[in-house]
Amino acid sequence: MANNVTFDQRKPVDFAIIGSGAAGGIIARELSTAGFDVVVFEQGPYRKAEDFTHDEYDVIIRDQLLGGGPRLSGQTFRHDEDEVATSPMIQPIRYAQTVGGSSAHFSANFWRFRESDFIERSMLGPISGTNFADWPMTYEEMEPYYTRVDWEVGVSGAPGPFDSFRSRPFPMPPLPVKSSGVLMEKAANKLGLHAQNQPHAILSQPFNGRNACIHCGHCMMFGCEVGAKSSSLAAMIPLAEATGRCEIRDRSAVFRIETDANGRASEVLYYDKEGNEQAQMAKAVIVSANGAETSRLLLLSASERHPDGLANSSGFVGRNLMFNAHAAVDGVFEHPLNEYKSVQVSRVIHDFYETDESRGFYGGGGIDARPLWSMTPIFHALEGMPHDVPRWGAAWKDEIAHNFTRQMSFAVGTTSLAMDRNNITLDPNNTDQWGRPAIRATYRDHDDDLAIAKFLEDRSMELMDAAGARKFWGHGINLSNGGEHLLGTARMGDDPDASVVDRHHRSHDVPNLFVCDGSSFVTSGRGQPTMTIMALAFRAAEHIAAAAKANEI
Amino acid sequence: MKKNDISRRRFLKSTGALGSASLFRIGVPLLAAITQSACTARDEEAAFKTLGAEEAADFAAIAGRIIPTTDTPGATEAGVIWFWDNALGGYFDWLLDDVRELREQMIASLNQPFAELSAAEQDAALKTLENDHRFEYWRQLTIFGFFGMAKHGGNKDHISWDLIGFDGHHGAWTPPFGYYDAQAEQADGE
Repeated sequence: MANNVTFDQRKPVDFAIIGSGAAGGIIARELSTAGFDVVVFEQGPYRKAEDFTHDEYDVIIRDQLLGGGPRLSGQTFRHDEDEVATSPMIQPIRYAQTVGGSSAHFSANFWRFRESDFIERSMLGPISGTNFADWPMTYEEMEPYYTRVDWEVGVSGAPGPFDSFRSRPFPMPPLPVKSSGVLMEKAANKLGLHAQNQPHAILSQPFNGRNACIHCGHCMMFGCEVGAKSSSLAAMIPLAEATGRCEIRDRSAVFRIETDANGRASEVLYYDKEGNEQAQMAKAVIVSANGAETSRLLLLSASERHPDGLANSSGFVGRNLMFNAHAAVDGVFEHPLNEYKSVQVSRVIHDFYETDESRGFYGGGGIDARPLWSMTPIFHALEGMPHDVPRWGAAWKDEIAHNFTRQMSFAVGTTSLAMDRNNITLDPNNTDQWGRPAIRATYRDHDDDLAIAKFLEDRSMELMDAAGARKFWGHGINLSNGGEHLLGTARMGDDPDASVVDRHHRSHDVPNLFVCDGSSFVTSGRGQPTMTIMALAFRAAEHIAAAAKANEI
Repeated sequence: MKKNDISRRRFLKSTGALGSASLFRIGVPLLAAITQSACTARDEEAAFKTLGAEEAADFAAIAGRIIPTTDTPGATEAGVIWFWDNALGGYFDWLLDDVRELREQMIASLNQPFAELSAAEQDAALKTLENDHRFEYWRQLTIFGFFGMAKHGGNKDHISWDLIGFDGHHGAWTPPFGYYDAQAEQADGE
């Protein structure tokens, strides 16, 4: 699709939006349909549905959608700040560089937050050593925006016993149950738990002129080849472009937001596809680049007036990084499950969502049934084998051959606590392929994060036993060494000393600078953040458009 | 003639003979099929791009023990060595030195080329290296070549996908997908 409009770089456009993902794509659609001119900057290329493949080596191993892997990104990781961060073989901070951002390659598990998620600090009290806080709004205020995501982006599902209230039903029925879901139901019934339908940002039937899912089995980490995944690429950006007011400027890597003499954001500096420096003037700038890239860009935009980085008078830019802790239990069954077909998850257990103080630690989470390692062959051979099997040779090969179609996982997604020590900073030694200082992540899970992951791993072992697995094993609870959920690093809040943006995503420091993406999160939810990122984007765009129309930016 | 300028046909001739010898030793009756598949694996006249013939013979043998030929095909039949050659001259070029060094370290203590050892001797030699991080590179290259798409050099005729029951080129599915959801569907219908 050719861009239908190109804006003059020297004439201030109404909005420069940095990032085309879950948040940026929605904000672009909302502002362009409201009559504003927008330029969306995306550092990756403009791939369409037909450009996505099932090539596991390209996509998962060579990080095709991630921008080419750690040797190009230069990203580094360490657990503690007294270590020198190093660049591992697997990219530590994993997000897609392609139009649509990570909404193009995510698994599309799509939970709303609950009422409690927004007010946990009030419910549970302080947790020492953390920046645990309430959100500046409630579920009641968010609900209409969740409903807009359901109906405008496209969500399949059916209500579950613990769901928060919804003002409208799901727009389409859930996706069909898989063998893993049937086995989870059987196990949950035995144990007195509740296996409910997993909601998806994937179309179970044709919707808004888009195709329904064909169950090809390549959702997690892959782009959807038929546009059934409700990414911003499939659902929002075509609508934005159709207004004639939205330019998607792909292969454009922003490295600085310039401010003028009044301290207002005035210009976006970026490298074009040839690597040449370019600039776009803008009346206002919206950063939706994800929790890692947003932090880096604000830190890179330091100036005399903003010595610690743009919008960072609080010092909170880059801090409070939350990955969501994870765990997984694998089981092998007598008969083929063929989990490589269809979407990842069809059933999920939310009985352990809420913090239960009798457990002695903060946190909760969900357990879902999915192929995980048994999704694709390389992934299965690399990560999916039981620990008591040799790592090479005939016995290992036989295990792979036997298990691939018979194996499934109970996967756990849980909470992370916001802490100063977990953060994104600029690596002092490494640069990325464009020459920008590399993203450096410093992260050590809170003990409570590990405790809830262990608690849910134990529950998953019980479930696997109850499901009748012939053999099952846990993958163990390990410290996070990277993540896909990039949350909390420019949190929203009413206090300018303890947050980066206000309740409407406007920077406390720079009046025409907005930040909306996973970095806005105050708490981590339970491991499926994208629905809330999209709801925040609808809400932010509404306030930004109203402020612009009232000349209040 | 440069080290790499050996044709694939010559390479196949040399390793084919050795391969058959070791296969006879482990008593696998697949020789004809294997020789056939290896000879047609790739463009036989093309030279390896990255690897020299001797090291390629050893690496092919290493891959052939990581995913051995049993009563089902392994890395040899999948042509995994051509994946190694592609990958080590491309995306994984930064592993090439490590990959080579570990082989040199290994063969220094051998009295004959690694590729000419018996399978049991090869396994014993590899066993001493399995905790070396460079062995993990060998292992991963073999996994990628065996299970990845054939266009990357290995997985000839999708033999690994047939082995595990993955129909990777089938683009769309309809329920039921597996045994247990089919069973549940049937129960619901009754």
